Amino acid sequence: MSEPLFLYQAVALLLLFLGIFGIITRKSLVGMIIAVELMLNGAGLAIVASGQLTGAPADLAQLSSLLVMGLAAAEATLVLAIILVVAKRFGTVETDRVSELEG
Amino acid sequence: MDTQSAAHLLFIVYAIVVLGGGIMAVVAKSLVRALVGLVLTLFGVAGMYLLMAAPFMALMQILIYVGAVVVLIFFSIMLTNATSRGDEAKPRSGLRIFLALVAAAIPAGLLALVAWTQSTATDAVQTPVEISIDQLGKALLNEYVLAFELISVVLFVAMAGAVLLGFERRKSK
Repeated sequence: MSEPLFLYQAVALLLLFLGIFGIITRKSLVGMIIAVELMLNGAGLAIVASGQLTGAPADLAQLSSLLVMGLAAAEATLVLAIILVVAKRFGTVETDRVSELEG
Repeated sequence: MDTQSAAHLLFIVYAIVVLGGGIMAVVAKSLVRALVGLVLTLFGVAGMYLLMAAPFMALMQILIYVGAVVVLIFFSIMLTNATSRGDEAKPRSGLRIFLALVAAAIPAGLLALVAWTQSTATDAVQTPVEISIDQLGKALLNEYVLAFELISVVLFVAMAGAVLLGFERRKSK
């Protein structure tokens, strides 16, 4: 445990790994937002770890991570609205079936 | 048990919670179970913030993610009728899972390599300093006031957009 910074970043990278894996394998749009939230959490964890455990300004890191949380909340609001429109129009939120484009 | 080994033990516990929750969130057949996995991950990350001497971040993590984002996702599960026998229960092709593993492993592996080689070169500190809430508030209203105002604009635009999408749907019916 000589490198605490790397351990926290390893956890953040595993969250990134799980997020990318989930966004590809999930079949529904709701499952895809869950995967995106995992990746955003990994980002926040990596930012706070690099601010707290190095000489970098810690307040900047914490505020950046708060910004990521705010963006996650905004994104979740908008994605929920889009999913509702898609579900209404197509009758499903399965990604393989929602593949028509309207010109 | 001294504080150092207690911190190591807690880190291991939180890492297990984060990874177990993350795996559950990605592979669970039922979307509600996947959401429970996401909540576990969120609490684990909040615990890691506490370990890094950032208690305000841990509180915000629980307040914003568990209080707002997870509730929104739960609503979208409810409103889109995503049942456990629905879309997620169908089997996935092995090729797709393999490609997803490769696509996820390449960026994560490259970043891990960079983090590993750089972690010995940086001036890593063993005991993090705690930033008090009034320091954070002063930084937010002095140096980073533009980012603070912009994030509120982004939140407003997102909420207005969500309301607009809802109206659009009702009008076209």
